[in-house]
Amino acid sequence: MNPHPIQIENMDFSYGPIGVLEQVNLTISDHEFISVVGPNGGGKTTLLKMLLGLLEPQKGSVSVFGKSPEQGRKWIGYLPQHASLDPKFPVTATDVVLLGRLGKTRTLGFYTKADHEAARNMLSRVGMDKLRNRPLAALSGGQRQRVLIARALVSEPRLLLLDEPTSSLDDYVERELYDLLKELNRDLTIVVVSHDIGFVSRYVEKVVCVNRQVHIHPVGEVNESIIHDMYGEHVHMVRHDQEHAHD
Amino acid sequence: MTEFFQALLQHSFLQHALLAGLLVSISCGIVGTYVVTRRITYLAGGIAHCVLGGMGFARYMQVVHDWAFMTPMLGAMLAALLAALVIGWVNIKARERIDTVISAFWGLGMAIGILFIAKTPGYGEDLMAYLFGNILLVTQRDLLVIGLLDLVIIATALLFHKQFVAVCFDEEFARLRGINTRLFYFLMLALVALSVVLMVSVVGIVMVIVMLTLPAAIAGRFCLRMGSMMALAAGLCALLTFGGLAVSYQPDLPAGATIIVLSGIAYLLSLLFKRS
Repeated sequence: MNPHPIQIENMDFSYGPIGVLEQVNLTISDHEFISVVGPNGGGKTTLLKMLLGLLEPQKGSVSVFGKSPEQGRKWIGYLPQHASLDPKFPVTATDVVLLGRLGKTRTLGFYTKADHEAARNMLSRVGMDKLRNRPLAALSGGQRQRVLIARALVSEPRLLLLDEPTSSLDDYVERELYDLLKELNRDLTIVVVSHDIGFVSRYVEKVVCVNRQVHIHPVGEVNESIIHDMYGEHVHMVRHDQEHAHD
Repeated sequence: MTEFFQALLQHSFLQHALLAGLLVSISCGIVGTYVVTRRITYLAGGIAHCVLGGMGFARYMQVVHDWAFMTPMLGAMLAALLAALVIGWVNIKARERIDTVISAFWGLGMAIGILFIAKTPGYGEDLMAYLFGNILLVTQRDLLVIGLLDLVIIATALLFHKQFVAVCFDEEFARLRGINTRLFYFLMLALVALSVVLMVSVVGIVMVIVMLTLPAAIAGRFCLRMGSMMALAAGLCALLTFGGLAVSYQPDLPAGATIIVLSGIAYLLSLLFKRS
């Protein structure tokens, strides 16, 4: 049997004395489309960073395709929360996507022809072929996210981790992006951190709720009491129900 | 200006000066682009000022203890590399208040240099040359060293262009792709250190940071990619060095300071143009 893309067992993580994640057990199988939800500060990004080997658990184990995160992360395509990038940095869309070839391409010298072809293919896959030579600074928020998704995909990952890919985008672009992810899901496992539980529930099969503890629910079972437990008073469910009423 | 060209044909010291300026411009363009895009100008300034400690130490050892091999340029190189290593390490380990740490090294390096120079017999004219440069005193041997260091910088930048762009743009992502980002960060700081040493001979310690950053900053307003930014920055640096030499020659102005003033004017003018 192939090892699971993600397997976490009895994991604890804390920043100093402050517990962030406790007793986490989580298994995610091939070709699942999972949404990670939970309040700010609940540990969503921490969970992703553990999967990427950027943080290490104090207790328990994390494995990615049966390996340690440091070894397994070469199979992960990662989309960080995009706030950290310098939008004025002198790179084109193609340059950004090419970064995803690092680790796959040769060490010395420039990117190869094969790298450029892979980058171009991926850019057209996300609908950015025409804008491939545009500087990053001249792209809209949605276009930038597409470029970063292409960068995550160009390393031919088996697991895609996206950290709030739509937080700065308007509804229409968000929908487009999730349609694209749904299509990509045919070939790979996708884990997406999201604020908006109502919206993602149309796309994903399971929801991982993170608030110090981690619980996984099939999307149909996510009801008010689960969300109430997680978020307290501010229940998003109302909007979720309204949206469904329009469908 | 015509006088400058006539003199250029006659005097080898002017030819040396010009050649030094052109050679230094290449690394100035490459490394300046790293410094500006990675936002480490202050760190580069710290490294530059630590160089005085190395130069003062080298001169002292040469004069007082007859260490003939210990030229001020060698001392500068050792000090710059050491400073890059230490400041870079502190930057990684203690992420907070890096500016305070840099300031400490900035002043410490200079103070050590001044102490050594004070204890070196002579009139202290060395100090002025170190601080403000003296491009007209560049010797053939200096040119050779400058050329070699230039080659090292160009070769490293070409071989690892991908990695340097990645480390400047998105270090975390580069690390996840299996790049040893710490190694490349230090390699980049080492290149900064070497270019600082080259530039000290042209404009002096105090003004290195201007020459390292302004041509790249101007280029950054017009260029859309790292490679073209480096090329334009190098071209601008060469032009400004040439212009500074030419303008300063007849009225007998200090060449280094003239180059810097021209660079400042060019930068301010570039701000008038809209970013492309």
